[in-house]
Amino acid sequence: MATETITATTGQAKREAFAHTTLGRVLRYSLVRLVTLGVTVVIGIYLTILIANMGGYVDTIMRNEIRDNTTQSILANPAFRSLTPEAREKLIQEKIALEEKRLGLDKPFISRSIKYLVNALTLNLGRAINMNSDSGSRQVRLILLERLPATLLLAGTADLILFFSSVFIALGLSRRYGSLLDKITIALSPTSSAPPWFYGIFLILIFAGILHVLPFGGLVDSPPPETSFGYGLSVLKHLILPASAIIISSFFLSVYNWRTFFLIYSSEDYVDMARAKGLPARDIERRYILRPTLPTIITNFALLVISLWTGFTITETVFLWPGLGRTLFQAIGLYDTPVIVGSTIVYAYMLGITVFLLDFVYALVDPRVKVGGGNQQ
Amino acid sequence: MLRKRLFALLGLLVIASMVLAACGTPAPTEEQPPATEEATEVATEEATAEPTPEPTTRKGGWLDEIAYSSVTSDSAVTQIQAGAIDIYTRAVASDRVQEIKDAGLCYAQSYGGYYDILFNPAVFTDATKLNPFSNRKIREAMNWAIDRNYINQEIYGGGSLPKFTVLATQLVDYTNVIETARGLEAYYAYNLDRAKEVVDAEMPAMGAELVDGKWNFNGEPLVLAFLIRNDGDGTRLKIGDYFSDQLEKLGFTVDRQYRKSSEASPIWIGSDPKEGQWHLYTAGWLSSGLDRDEKESFQEMYLSSSAQGIPLFLENVSDPEFLKVGDDLANGNFTTLEERRAMIEKALPLSMQDALQVWIVDQQVYAPYQCNVEVTYDLGSGVEAAQMPPYNIRFKDQEGGQLKVGTNDLFTDPWNPVNGSNWVWDGFVQSATESGSLMADPYTGLYWPLRAESAEVTVQTGLPVGTNTDWVTLNTADTVTVPADAWVDWDAATQTFVPAGDGVTAKAKIVMTYPADLYEVTKWHDGSNLSAGDFVMRMIMAFDQAKEDSAIYDPDTVPNYEAFKSTFKGVKVVSTDPLVIETYTDNFYADAELIAFLGDWWPQYGYGEGSWAAIAMGNAAEAAGLTAYGTGKADTNAVEWTNFIGGPSLEALNTQLDALIAESTIPYAATMGEFVTADEAATRYANLKAWYEAHGHFWSATGPYFLDSVDLNAKTALVKNNPDFPDFSDRWAAWSNPPLADATMDGPAQVTIGEDTPFSLTVTTKAGDPYPSADIKQVKFLVYNDKGETIYVGEGEAGAGDGEFTLTIPADVELQAGAGKIEAAVVLYPAAIPAFASLEFVAVP
Repeated sequence: MATETITATTGQAKREAFAHTTLGRVLRYSLVRLVTLGVTVVIGIYLTILIANMGGYVDTIMRNEIRDNTTQSILANPAFRSLTPEAREKLIQEKIALEEKRLGLDKPFISRSIKYLVNALTLNLGRAINMNSDSGSRQVRLILLERLPATLLLAGTADLILFFSSVFIALGLSRRYGSLLDKITIALSPTSSAPPWFYGIFLILIFAGILHVLPFGGLVDSPPPETSFGYGLSVLKHLILPASAIIISSFFLSVYNWRTFFLIYSSEDYVDMARAKGLPARDIERRYILRPTLPTIITNFALLVISLWTGFTITETVFLWPGLGRTLFQAIGLYDTPVIVGSTIVYAYMLGITVFLLDFVYALVDPRVKVGGGNQQ
Repeated sequence: MLRKRLFALLGLLVIASMVLAACGTPAPTEEQPPATEEATEVATEEATAEPTPEPTTRKGGWLDEIAYSSVTSDSAVTQIQAGAIDIYTRAVASDRVQEIKDAGLCYAQSYGGYYDILFNPAVFTDATKLNPFSNRKIREAMNWAIDRNYINQEIYGGGSLPKFTVLATQLVDYTNVIETARGLEAYYAYNLDRAKEVVDAEMPAMGAELVDGKWNFNGEPLVLAFLIRNDGDGTRLKIGDYFSDQLEKLGFTVDRQYRKSSEASPIWIGSDPKEGQWHLYTAGWLSSGLDRDEKESFQEMYLSSSAQGIPLFLENVSDPEFLKVGDDLANGNFTTLEERRAMIEKALPLSMQDALQVWIVDQQVYAPYQCNVEVTYDLGSGVEAAQMPPYNIRFKDQEGGQLKVGTNDLFTDPWNPVNGSNWVWDGFVQSATESGSLMADPYTGLYWPLRAESAEVTVQTGLPVGTNTDWVTLNTADTVTVPADAWVDWDAATQTFVPAGDGVTAKAKIVMTYPADLYEVTKWHDGSNLSAGDFVMRMIMAFDQAKEDSAIYDPDTVPNYEAFKSTFKGVKVVSTDPLVIETYTDNFYADAELIAFLGDWWPQYGYGEGSWAAIAMGNAAEAAGLTAYGTGKADTNAVEWTNFIGGPSLEALNTQLDALIAESTIPYAATMGEFVTADEAATRYANLKAWYEAHGHFWSATGPYFLDSVDLNAKTALVKNNPDFPDFSDRWAAWSNPPLADATMDGPAQVTIGEDTPFSLTVTTKAGDPYPSADIKQVKFLVYNDKGETIYVGEGEAGAGDGEFTLTIPADVELQAGAGKIEAAVVLYPAAIPAFASLEFVAVP
């Protein structure tokens, strides 16, 4: 008995000792963080399902729209004109019943919502209700994947150019605080109050409508060039206006934000100390300003990368760009829950994983940060 | 300080310039034509005045290529101006017609949907709430409260047609009863005072009282719940606001509930009308295009027997006389066309009195295009939904070239001939690749033979059927007997047809005859010759999917199949070479050409053409559980919706094609074996395989263009001319321009009561040439008194020259001193839309 007690005490002590080691702290932190993120994702996804379906009211909307659409299409079809009124009404009722069954409206919303949730969490994206992929498939996986390259191309190009140009120009401006260029940037920063599609319309009018040098929209010329090289050039030509719209709409505000951010760090005592020591400006920038700001820069960059998944809904619509933003927009309009949930769960998982990993990245780039060390004094 | 202000000013200037630019329109470039209405009219006249092109040696379509792409309707006009596209085939609403004219573009005009105010006719269960529209007289009075001309001018840019009756304004049935229709239009012309008189007389009888100019019920203001649609083209929002203002002038208080479709439908469709959740709704209905038969519209749009089955129709208590005539028309309880016409003339005024729906506008829509393009379009359904446009579309005075077509969307659903995409824009691309037995006339709605040679239609004696063209022979017979060996059903287990047996009769018989060289001249795009097997496969597919024993059984097809079977009586392949097919049916129309269409077994499956080999491949993939033709079955079985042009379906179809090649399969061999040889099967499959390897899709048809390539993600399609098409490109050139007419009237400004008064009417083509009198079916004229009442209906007398008529108001017409009006309607043979002309005069003793 005594031996058992001693063994148990020893085991507990070992566990406590392990818990206070770096590895134990990291593992415990990771577990708690993952559970927290998991619960958040589950709640977020179920809320998405409830909101997308208006708590089940969408069933009522869909039932009545099915009746309206079915009735109108049959009454307007001359092929059914010669049927007796009774036969026509029977046809309408049978078609309505079939369509309701196809859309799952013969089952209660609550059971469907649970199914949506389980499918989403297991990444079984399933089949869309009304939407097709561009190649005609109902698989949500294909609906999203077929649109992903176009979105990555547009959002990736625009956001990466925007991000890196903003950071480096801002860094330069922070050195020239109060200069003419700095003031112009500040003066133009309100231009970012207009969204990308707003600039998109102007760009279309100028470069497509008046100058005729760039296309109005779309992904590629019609008909598409037959060679891969020609096709690629055509896509790039179509990319110029939407990417420019995105960049222009955020450029000045982004530069202004980063410039202000760098200015704050530039006025830290240790930077003044470095200057007083006579260190070269480039070293000061790299080691005394950029390095401590790295966690923030990395966070912004990581969130930017995962935000590519959502695309630019209205900008893609204005430019008829076949991206994920338009897909999601269409899905919301069609109450296509599997597509909405599919898109959301992928984003939620990416966001959760990014947030989780960022904690570790902070620790790597900033020695002041310890993973799971928030409660230690 | 000064610098800071300068920069602040600069920032403000940038923002202000953008806002101002957003409010303006782009300046025209130098090479664009002047943006004036005159320029447009000249261009349009030139377009219609072009002579018929010289005979050509070119076969297939006029163009080398047609490139389709997806374009937003908002930018369509600008894109045509900029030369990015040549035509936007998805028509835009009439409120943009001025924009099209200002841009110097030509346009195709056709019918869009039609809008009205739909009333809740129920007496509410809650006795404390009053529904004034349960009173038929108040509903009727709303006709006088709507200024349809104002709505057309202010909301629809003057480009649509004010609509008073349920019949499509100016189309076939309307024209048949034009004197009644025009008379009703005059009677129900805008007169708010008259509406107010009726409301003021009826409302107190229903227990309402007028307090401070507002109707009250049970001591509370009577509030009308008006569901106003704010989505779609946005015009229903304006109509709703206009009519709300009118109702308020009549003393009602209006609760304007702006809702989109999904928000309104649960109320006006889904709720019990007696609950009183709504009083009126801005309804909209789809157009049937160039519909030649609207006899069932009265029942559908007013009566409790309506096939719509929506509760509000069930609640409408109609006048028994209207109920009977509406039901009789819908059920075809008439024996002559004259009797049918008389019934419609009787139903029309009764429908205006019933007024469950008060009609407002027949929307006209406009498809803009460059004026160097020549395009045929259907007067009812425009460019995209018509069959002939791809055959005639071209650049003026030019053979070949690449035409760039913009449309709303492409590839919305998968393409397969049996149950694929039925979106109109997808159908437009498909129609360029297809031919058929018959060609729909875009101006009359009748049919002409395309690959067929002739048709003989025999109907039961007493059925009200007539013929309009000479390629259809119309006979009558006391009894139309179905041959005992005609195929009437399908045994999916044995894969054989079920014979009709003895003693079966039908209301109509169609004998469709094809030319002797049909199989030699008609080729599928993959190089295979058309054969009798293609027609027999089409017949099998009319049954097989609806049979539980079938390997491709699809329960979703059963309702349509049952509807088909309710009138189908049998089909018989009388001869395979030349091909002669007899069809027996209980279905009939007033026009023999439309009945002939029922005997068309061309391998067009409703969603596209397909050779028997392609259908065999699709069937094999469905039987193997890899794909399904219809979306319902695909969803139920969680398989791919069959797609002949892309996606995961292609691999499944290709695998099945390989299996068919390996086994030299003749599908449905028990039946098809009689019509298809093993050699033909081998050739067919090999050609289809080669086509797939060359083009990457299985869309092989028989039309003037073939589908060369698609980019599903970029939403573009390219069709190329089919030089092996049997017909010369100018075969349908006579239909290049709509044979519409203009009419002008001349006569005295003063009419002496008691004397014959002649007026002259001149009818011309749109180009200004005299309209051939032989092509004018009838000239009717109406005389109105100063109250707008019809006091005389007469017929014009043809003059010596083409298009010249004299309209004489006889001496015994009871004219009254004062203003009067004479209006003529010119009914044409080659086009379903009549021409109108009118003249006002003063009648003096």
